[in-house]
Amino acid sequence: MLQDILTDKKALFADGAHTELRGQNNRTRRAVLLNGALMGNVRSDVSGVSARVYEGGVYGFSSMAEYTGEAAEMVLKAATENAAFMNKHAGIGKPALPKMALKQMPTQEDIKDAEQKLYVDFAREADAYITKKYPNLVSRTIVAMEDSMEKLIVTSDGASGHILAPRSYMYVVLTAQTDAGTPVELFQAFGGSGVFSDNFADPTKLHAEIDDLYEKLMQKREGVYADAGEKTVILDGMMSGMLSHEAVGHTVEADLVLGGSVAGPCLNKRVASDLVTLTDFAHTAFGEKCPLPVYIDDEGTEAVDSPLIVNGILTGYMNSRESAQHFGMTPQGNARAWLFQDEPLIRMRNTSIHPGKDKLEDMIASVDDGYYLIQSNNGQADTTGEFMFGVTMGYEIKNGKLGKALLDTTISGVAFEMLKTVDMVSDKVVWVSSGMCGKKQPMPVGMGGPALRCKVKIGGR
Amino acid sequence: MDRMKELAREILAEAKAKGAEYAQCSVSEGEKKEFNVDGGRFSLMRSLFNRNVTITLLKDQKKGTVAINKFDIETVKNAVSDAIAAAESGQPDEAWEYAKEPVEKEYTDGAPECDTDKLFMRTKELLESIKEKHPTILMEQMITEHNSGTEVFMNTNGVNYVTKYGAYTFSLMYSAHEGEKSTSFYGSDITLKTLDKPVLECGKIDWEISMVEKQLDPISLEGKFNGPVILAPMALYEIVLSTIMGNFVGDACMIDGTSIWKDKLGEQVADPRFNMSSEPYNDDVVVPNRHTAEGYETENFDLIKDGKLNSFCLSQYAANKTGNKRSGNTGRNIHVAAGEKTLEEIISGIDKGLLVMRFSGGQPAASGEYSGVAKNSFLIENGKISKAISETMISGCVPEMLVNIRDISKDIANDGNNSLPFIAFDGVTISGK
Repeated sequence: MLQDILTDKKALFADGAHTELRGQNNRTRRAVLLNGALMGNVRSDVSGVSARVYEGGVYGFSSMAEYTGEAAEMVLKAATENAAFMNKHAGIGKPALPKMALKQMPTQEDIKDAEQKLYVDFAREADAYITKKYPNLVSRTIVAMEDSMEKLIVTSDGASGHILAPRSYMYVVLTAQTDAGTPVELFQAFGGSGVFSDNFADPTKLHAEIDDLYEKLMQKREGVYADAGEKTVILDGMMSGMLSHEAVGHTVEADLVLGGSVAGPCLNKRVASDLVTLTDFAHTAFGEKCPLPVYIDDEGTEAVDSPLIVNGILTGYMNSRESAQHFGMTPQGNARAWLFQDEPLIRMRNTSIHPGKDKLEDMIASVDDGYYLIQSNNGQADTTGEFMFGVTMGYEIKNGKLGKALLDTTISGVAFEMLKTVDMVSDKVVWVSSGMCGKKQPMPVGMGGPALRCKVKIGGR
Repeated sequence: MDRMKELAREILAEAKAKGAEYAQCSVSEGEKKEFNVDGGRFSLMRSLFNRNVTITLLKDQKKGTVAINKFDIETVKNAVSDAIAAAESGQPDEAWEYAKEPVEKEYTDGAPECDTDKLFMRTKELLESIKEKHPTILMEQMITEHNSGTEVFMNTNGVNYVTKYGAYTFSLMYSAHEGEKSTSFYGSDITLKTLDKPVLECGKIDWEISMVEKQLDPISLEGKFNGPVILAPMALYEIVLSTIMGNFVGDACMIDGTSIWKDKLGEQVADPRFNMSSEPYNDDVVVPNRHTAEGYETENFDLIKDGKLNSFCLSQYAANKTGNKRSGNTGRNIHVAAGEKTLEEIISGIDKGLLVMRFSGGQPAASGEYSGVAKNSFLIENGKISKAISETMISGCVPEMLVNIRDISKDIANDGNNSLPFIAFDGVTISGK
């Protein structure tokens, strides 16, 4: 656990400038089994100190790969010089950021380190189960991993705190072959917030989920291509989570709004049907702890929820302290950094569409000719709101009943048009948190949602 | 430098003393200077000072790897112990093999020293000249940086490389705006050895920006048809080349047997005009990768020669696992040979098709099937670029495309890492509203 060598450096902060000093340690543990061969067996610890200084509307930043008092003083000096250089050559004369209340956030629970054997043994156990029960597979990949951020944050005029945020997952990728010899693949991530032993105490508890994954793969092996064109679909919770994050969330990050995103002219306007309410939650959602809770951001802002769409109306953006000043909004704790050497950027935390009142089975029964789309492996969105998600698992819906499974395909649409077609919302939210959002730096994020009935364009043959 | 060499030797000795039969380590120090532009104006200057140590060792032919970013001897010795413990938790695998021939080499590549004032000047000049020449363009984000460093790589077989390197990189993400109209964003990237000339005159940045400016009034295509599609260099990489590298010739797909090309070495897999190589020593590459992660010196090699699969792209480990040969490097710096026609000549031969500038799609299946959105793209009609398009999907199968090549341009885009032409493919499914 990082010892506090930073608080006494506050005396060195420049008068009148907003300053952040951050010590950080990122830890990764990973075991990768490919067809039984231990391809990856890696432990990584990366730590250091960084400083950021705001002056005249521009920032200076510096970092060093050391966590010492001397390094803290050096990065403070370098960040201050960088801020001065930028202010001299490109400053825009903006005033200081509005003051925030000084607050000390409570320290979270320490992260328990585990020996590498834990990850290797767990991966091997899962692999042994798959090999024994499903010998007909072409290949299997098992990844047992844990990553964590530990941060000690000291700011000139905001909250300070000590944050520990571990998460751990098992990724299982299975590949089968069609009768024609074409490989067909399906993957699933298990786990969430917490260290590995919190999420994976008993290897046998994964067996039922692996069985379900195999069953779906066998259905996909007999799958069909989607018929390309605009269709009525039911997006299951994981897909609506992708939609919340990629297609809506990014467009309402204030830095992207300043970069010309479609959300700029849409504030306080209708962007979705009135069944759609969407929030970027800080740490608690729908009465439960979020998959990746955030209590304080890296600018020292206490994290609270960011309501983004309320009953179809776009109501706000996600902000840093600087962008909140620009838009006349209140910062809600969205500025986060991934490594000690990264500056805080406006990032989502746990973004989800709120549940509705419909039952999933009624939603499927209501579709004559369409698709039920369950799982995605990647997604991207544009500042115009145009999005695409890869679809790795889904089914045809014919006359209100599920039909054949689908081979891999892609869906696309324009978020603020497509969300207006949402006419049914299920009563259950599904969260996922195993991936990384990529926006200059990686960042762990949670995303979730209920099933949605809507219209999207689907690729295929 | 001497301290880094000494540390590397201490790591190897410590690993041996703790029972490793083989060890290697990379000890590196680096510095980054970076300017950021957000929403069209300067926002940040960063200076980073980094260190990294990566230790890989074998004990009883079991492998363990630990990465840290500290140079103090106590932390490093603990890291060696962790690597030993990681190895002991694994399983023996006879396929692990590392460079055996002793070698001692030092290299200096690219631009190791940063001219910070000139980097800022070129950044400011680039921003201002884009504003002047392309007034509808809004720079959503621009990151300009100089990365430099020194790496000492040693193994217990007498392999010893010292590499000093540096390069300037300009990464631009932008869109065009007029009133409430806006285009999709587009990204241009270039890596440079010098800042001798304005960045807008380098690579294809100016051309790419001018193409984005023409996308403010896109049309939605109606219906679905099969047609020719010209993939611009970025789209060519995203759809075709990354699928070849990831799904057909790389370590993972060959080891797990899912590559549909695993038995096609020497066979025709593409049009005879298609030549694809991995060339760290191409003159266009600013900083070549001098050695592989297993300690072997890199060399250029042909992946596909005259349309035939000439080589896989395999590490020594994957080669041992699959019974194939290790390739000359790890597949960076892709070069696709030029064709004989200009882009205009290729376009002039197409009655109806697309020019795809960028692709946003789901990850291609192991079979090479893909689908996704044609971004920043144009309709080609009657031999000319006509309208920009939006909400248009394309789908196809990479192996089928490779044998359905219509034309390859003589025009090559170099970005300091890869050099790629425009390629037109027949028979791609184009799907509008």
